[in-house]
Order: sequence, then C-alpha cells, then structure tokens
Amino acid sequence: MIHLRHVTKRYGPVTAVADASLSIGRGEVVGLLGPNGAGKTTTIRMTAGLMPPTRGSIEIDGHDTVDDSAKARRLIGYLPESTPLYTEMRVQDYLRFRGSLCGLRGRGAREGVDRAIDRCSLGEVRRRRVGHLSKGYRQRVGLAGALLHDPPLLILDEPSSGLDPTQIREVRSLIRDLSTDRTVIVSSHVLPEVELTCDRVVIIARGKIRADGAPADLVATQGGGAHVIEVKPNAGEASASGGTKLGDFEGRLKQLGASSVTTSNAGDGWTRLRVVAAKKDQDLRLGLARAATGEGLSIRELTRERASLEQVFLSAIEEEGS
Amino acid sequence: MRVVGSVAWREYASFFRTSLGWVVMALFLALSAAVFSASIQPGEPATLRGFFSVWWALLLFVAPAVSMRLFSDDLRSGTIETLLASPASEASIVGGKFVAAVGFFLTMLAPTLVFVVVLESLSDPDWGPILAGYLGITLMGMLYLAIGLAASTMTSSQTLAYLGTLVVLILADILLVQASSRVGPRVGQVLLGMSPNVRAADFARGLIETRHIVFFLSASFVALAIATVSIQSRRWR
Repeated sequence: MIHLRHVTKRYGPVTAVADASLSIGRGEVVGLLGPNGAGKTTTIRMTAGLMPPTRGSIEIDGHDTVDDSAKARRLIGYLPESTPLYTEMRVQDYLRFRGSLCGLRGRGAREGVDRAIDRCSLGEVRRRRVGHLSKGYRQRVGLAGALLHDPPLLILDEPSSGLDPTQIREVRSLIRDLSTDRTVIVSSHVLPEVELTCDRVVIIARGKIRADGAPADLVATQGGGAHVIEVKPNAGEASASGGTKLGDFEGRLKQLGASSVTTSNAGDGWTRLRVVAAKKDQDLRLGLARAATGEGLSIRELTRERASLEQVFLSAIEEEGS
Repeated sequence: MRVVGSVAWREYASFFRTSLGWVVMALFLALSAAVFSASIQPGEPATLRGFFSVWWALLLFVAPAVSMRLFSDDLRSGTIETLLASPASEASIVGGKFVAAVGFFLTMLAPTLVFVVVLESLSDPDWGPILAGYLGITLMGMLYLAIGLAASTMTSSQTLAYLGTLVVLILADILLVQASSRVGPRVGQVLLGMSPNVRAADFARGLIETRHIVFFLSASFVALAIATVSIQSRRWR
C-alpha cells in the first residue's frame, strides 16, 4: 500500500533522511522507532504529503504524494506531533469541521462524527470545548479527527508524547483497536509503545533505516547470541588432559562456535561462564551441555540470553554512531 | 466551494470566540463614532462625505488587526498541518479564510448604519453618495484584508503579520501619493492609480466607477493568489 523508494530529504547541508526504502502492506501496523532527531517526523510528514522528498518518491496506493497529492491525502488520516487543535471549538464542531475538509456532508458527516466519537470514547465530552479537555482527551479528539473519513491509512506522529501512564495505556489500546481494519504507521521514540502496538518495527537512526522486521524476528536475528552456564567439577574424577576439568571444557568452547567466554566465581565451587556465539542466531545449549558432561562437570544452570527489543534498538543506534 | 463555506464559517465564528475579535470591533466602532460626530456640523449639508473621506484611514490600522491571525495562528499552533494534510485545496482554504474576514468586516460595518439613521432623522440625506461610500469602504476593506491575509501566510507571528500589512498599506496609501507629486505627470498618474485611497475618494464623493471596482477586485484577487502560492510553497520545501 505504501512504497518509499530511495527517499532522501535534505534541509540545506543537513540530511534528515538518507536513501530510505520501505514497503508497507495493507493492514500492517508499523512502528517507526528512533531517538529524537532520527528522521521519523520528516519521514512521516513526507508520507502525509506535507513536504516533498529531495530525491526518491513516495506512493500511497499508487498515488504519488507529490504529483498526485490530493488523491494520496484522501487515503490518509493524519495526527501530527503534539496534536494541534482549535481549542476554542467544541469537540463535535471541531470534528464536523475536520469532516468537511475531507468532503463529508449532511448525513455522511453526522454519521462519520458519531462513529469517530464512539470509537474514541468521546461521547461524554462531545459538547465541551477542546481547550477545556485533558491532554488524553485532546489526543483522542485528534485521533477522532484523523478517522472521520474512514481512511485506509492512519499516520500517527508520537501519539502518546506528553501523556501520563494511564493516558498512554488508553491511547495505546485505542491505536490497537483502530489497527484492526486499516494500515497504521506510528512514530515514536518510546520503545514499549512500538513493541506493544506494532506488528513490525522500523528502527531509524540518523536518517537511515537500521533495522526492519517483526519485533520477535529482530530480537532473534539481531540480538542475543549469549549463553550462561554454571558448572562444577564432579568430585573424584580426574581431568583427561591432566589439567583442570574446567580448563578442558573452556578449551572445547571455540570448536562449538563460541566467539568469547567470560568466567566468574559463582561461589561454593561453582563457576559461571558467559559464552557468546560467533553467530547471533546460533543456539549452543545442546553442545555446551554435552561438552560439560563429557568433561565431568555438573551443570546447575544453562540458559540462552534473550535479547530485548531495547538491546536491538540500542545496538542499532550505537552501530550508527560508531 | 463547500470547503470554502466550512472554513469560512469556522473562521468567522472564531472571531467571536476570541477576545481579539470583540476588541477590534469595539475599537473600530468607537473610532468610527468619533469620526462621525466630528464630521457632522450644524448648518452643513446632511452628508457622510466628510465621514467617508476620513474613514479609510481607520481601515489602515483596523484591517491588519482582523487579518493578522488568519494563517499566522495556524502556523503558530500547528493546525496548518491538519489543514494541509486534508484533501482540501490550498485555494479553497485561502478563499474560506478571506470570506470569513470579509464577513467579519461587514459585521463590523453593520452597526455604523446607525449613523445613517441618525442623519435621516435629522434631515433628508442624499442616498446615492451614502451607498457609494459604503461600496467604496467595502471594496477597500476587501483589498486590505486580502493583503493582510497574504502577509499572515508568511509568518507565525501575528505581530509581524500586522506590521508587515501596515507597511504595505502605508506604502500604497500614503507614500505612493507623495511620490506621485515628485515624478513626471505620466508616472505620477500610474502611481496615483495604484493607490487605493485615491480611488476610494471617488466613492466618498458619490461616484461609482467600474474601473475602480475592477481595480479593487483584481488587486484583491492578486493578493489572494499570492497567499495561495505562499501556502502551496510549504509543500515544496
């Protein structure tokens, strides 16, 4: 549904987005994740048709956001960062106005406003002035405004910035509900927001796409690789090589595919080894267990460290920074 | 056209939801009343000619106050993004805001009809010059508001929009007239022709000339076209 092809955006000498290519299918919920100043808002604003790429092109359902901008915009519901609203208007008047900008009239407009109010749970505040609402409600009004013409694509720029934890939870749950029947792009620098609401994560750092995939896939392919094993030599058995049993075990780790090993004393005669596999997705648990028992060591713990999305995110950013 | 209507209605209503609209209207009416009372002298003919000939000077300061927030406020608050991300065209958004500003201006003018009623109760005024005067002030107001609207598309600061409009209007109304007397007669005529208040003076005298109407309407159109291009250019940056 959305195709970004080699998109670059420059502001004078500063490159905000560099050669970004991305395809997003219908019904996907995609999170653009990156630190502040990474290029998320620029990418979002270009996709919403508010500014052109310096190079490359963006298409929404076959409509170029520059050459065929009005048709592309008709398919988009957009919530800008910090949710600008006309604070002097009443909620329902504001939504009627937003609907009229999208061509909704008469019965269609009334139904669209009622539907959006219903979906965003704004019934009890529909006659109140926007300026008198809490930040959480204002965010919902912004979301309702983006939903009025029932667009197949929702673009939400930092939808929970500035909200308290309860409001953040409400907005996340609302985004989850809205994503059941449309494509959603959410930008955020808050990792749990993206992790909890999106099927797919695109990590952006310094204008470049650093990682792209389902959170679980990113963790499996980009993170992890470390194993922890705690061992203790069995009493009364001598080392086959004449050295220590632990020394023999460590000697076999390279052959198993380990790239680095750190050992520490776990107390009471136990030694804790952190074994990092040469390949990030390599599972060494079975090999480690066999090697340890073969060398006459008892095992009380053997685990493969699961990387969090946060580690993937941080390593993507650090990779770029280094 | 429907977008024009809904943008116009929202913008028109917002003049009355903010204190600025009421303050501008109160100021305009108070100053207008002062000009009216000063222009009526015992024993003089019952006309608004003196009133109309001074009234345009009030517009110089009042029209920019009406137009300064039209786009500047959207640029400051960020609501310009919701306007531009919608499928509505820039021309219809500009048109809607212009209609709202003219509507507010006409609403401001409406209470001044009391002056006509007062004049009617005192004597038997000639209606032709009064109608011509109102037509002139309306056309002049439209042009000033269109210029102010164009200025407001260029800055998120209402103060800058006000001052920018004021500079352009002073340039057109005062400096052009002064410059016209210091250059050759042909260039002087051209400069005078570009000055709105010189043309409005004919309306104040009761003359309705088509060329003046065409001037005000086409100059307003040019200012609105500049405003539209200015808003469109935000998509090109």
